[in-house]
Amino acid sequence: MNKFAQLGADIAKLWGKYGGAYVSGMRNTLVLALIGTLIGCLIGFICGILNTIPYTKNDHPVKIFVLRLVRVIIRIYVEVFRGTPMVLQAVFLYYGLPYFTDNAVRFTSIWLAAILVVSINTGAYMAESVRGGIISVDPGQTEGAMAIGMTHVQTMVNVILPQALRNIMPQIGNNFIINVKDTSVMFIIGFPEFFSAHRASVGASYLYFPSATVEMVGYLTMTLLASFLLRWMEKKMDGSSSYELVQTDQLVMTAGTYSYPDNRTPFDERNPEAVKSMLREELRRQAEQDEALRQGAVVELRRGGQAGDRKGER
Amino acid sequence: MGELILQVNHLSKKFGVNEVLRDIDFTVQKGDVISIIGASGSGKSTLLRCINLLESATSGEILYHGANVLRRGVSPAEYRAKVGMVFQSFNLFNNMSVLENCVVGQVKVLRRDRETARAHAMEYLERVGMAPFINARPRQISGGQKQRVAIARAMAMDPEVLLFDEPTSALDPEMVGEVLTVMRDLARSGMTMLVVTHEMAFARDVSSRVVYMNGGVICEQGTPEEVFANPQRQETRDFLARFRG
Repeated sequence: MNKFAQLGADIAKLWGKYGGAYVSGMRNTLVLALIGTLIGCLIGFICGILNTIPYTKNDHPVKIFVLRLVRVIIRIYVEVFRGTPMVLQAVFLYYGLPYFTDNAVRFTSIWLAAILVVSINTGAYMAESVRGGIISVDPGQTEGAMAIGMTHVQTMVNVILPQALRNIMPQIGNNFIINVKDTSVMFIIGFPEFFSAHRASVGASYLYFPSATVEMVGYLTMTLLASFLLRWMEKKMDGSSSYELVQTDQLVMTAGTYSYPDNRTPFDERNPEAVKSMLREELRRQAEQDEALRQGAVVELRRGGQAGDRKGER
Repeated sequence: MGELILQVNHLSKKFGVNEVLRDIDFTVQKGDVISIIGASGSGKSTLLRCINLLESATSGEILYHGANVLRRGVSPAEYRAKVGMVFQSFNLFNNMSVLENCVVGQVKVLRRDRETARAHAMEYLERVGMAPFINARPRQISGGQKQRVAIARAMAMDPEVLLFDEPTSALDPEMVGEVLTVMRDLARSGMTMLVVTHEMAFARDVSSRVVYMNGGVICEQGTPEEVFANPQRQETRDFLARFRG
């Protein structure tokens, strides 16, 4: 039990000395993860959209060539940045630019470098998610939009992307939570995120375990909060599960066309009993008609000298 | 006879080596209600999809008011705005309400202002009896109601021709009636319609012309009386007999 007391005392000591660093680290981590995820999503959407532009053999050869080229470039981007660790990407970009330009170009802001790396990395994952999200929308939706004369762009903007976005919301949430945790590798280029606060504090105090406990609790708090927020947003996007029947529709009243036209028709929503009896009547009438047709056709066929084999079939 | 709207000449369609449509010739005139009947796999739906350019024909031409729409450089979107289509699976936009479904095309494609589009959409939604449901989402209404909305959506674009691809095949039997009633009403109002259907009573009572397709070719066509009461070809007779079983 006294170990726990010891831990509590150590944490209090750490917090007293480095509390500010922890808090600002958490803030930086959250801001970096949020901006990185947002820009990453943007990159992902652009890649996903470019990747799913349809072309047919009848299209202009130049268009086909360009589209194919774009697909290859995106493929390379995705494979490279999905297939290498983010910690290396950070080093590669942060030190690579000055190396190649003899220090002429370098990152003046550590924020810029960190956001760039996280965005590009997230974008590579999101590109595939968005492509999947677009493909997963029922092809009938595209056909429905095409059939009323929408162009590919109009179809995408109005019909497909809103549905794709809803479909990949869990993926975006996933990426955000992964980014909250994985931005911890950004200490490698000296970005002051949450994990770098741990490195700074233990460097002086050697309280590895108490500091790690603070970090664990801190990260878990951030990710749980993100989880709840994302769930809430998904629910919002789904909208209400019920709807209101518009009985006296003001919109129509003002348009001057409302005259309760369903009165005594099969679509009368106000008088279900009358509708039922009417539908029964309609069904009976149709059955009669079908019967009459059958009789008529049989008679016709008989006249045509085919009655024998028809009858046999029956 | 009315003004010539569509003329299909020597239309063929291959899926790989599979020839689904062979040398199809037929015309649609203003006010025609043409039912296309035939067994499954006879190419009825493919023909309709070719006419709306959802499938690209392998050869042949489709003339819309005399101009071939299969030529390179013709915008399919502009043409499709004038040739509406109603699908077997409704294809309402899931991310929009019933009203929004009928408004979006008018606003985005026909560039109508939102208020005009709303009023126009309401007109047709009332006609199909869906006016009380304008705030509902497609997933919240029944199949028959969805199809009525889909018809209103297509009509709100003021198309010259309306294509129906087996509009009642995905419906429960008790919902077929409500959709057919709407279609009868449309036909009576003079709408030019091209209907792929298995509803023989509808084809017989409502259409001005019946086309029987078999194995990718038009086997027989004529008035409903000619085709139903006095079919000339053995295939047609067999098909109709199977149907009446």
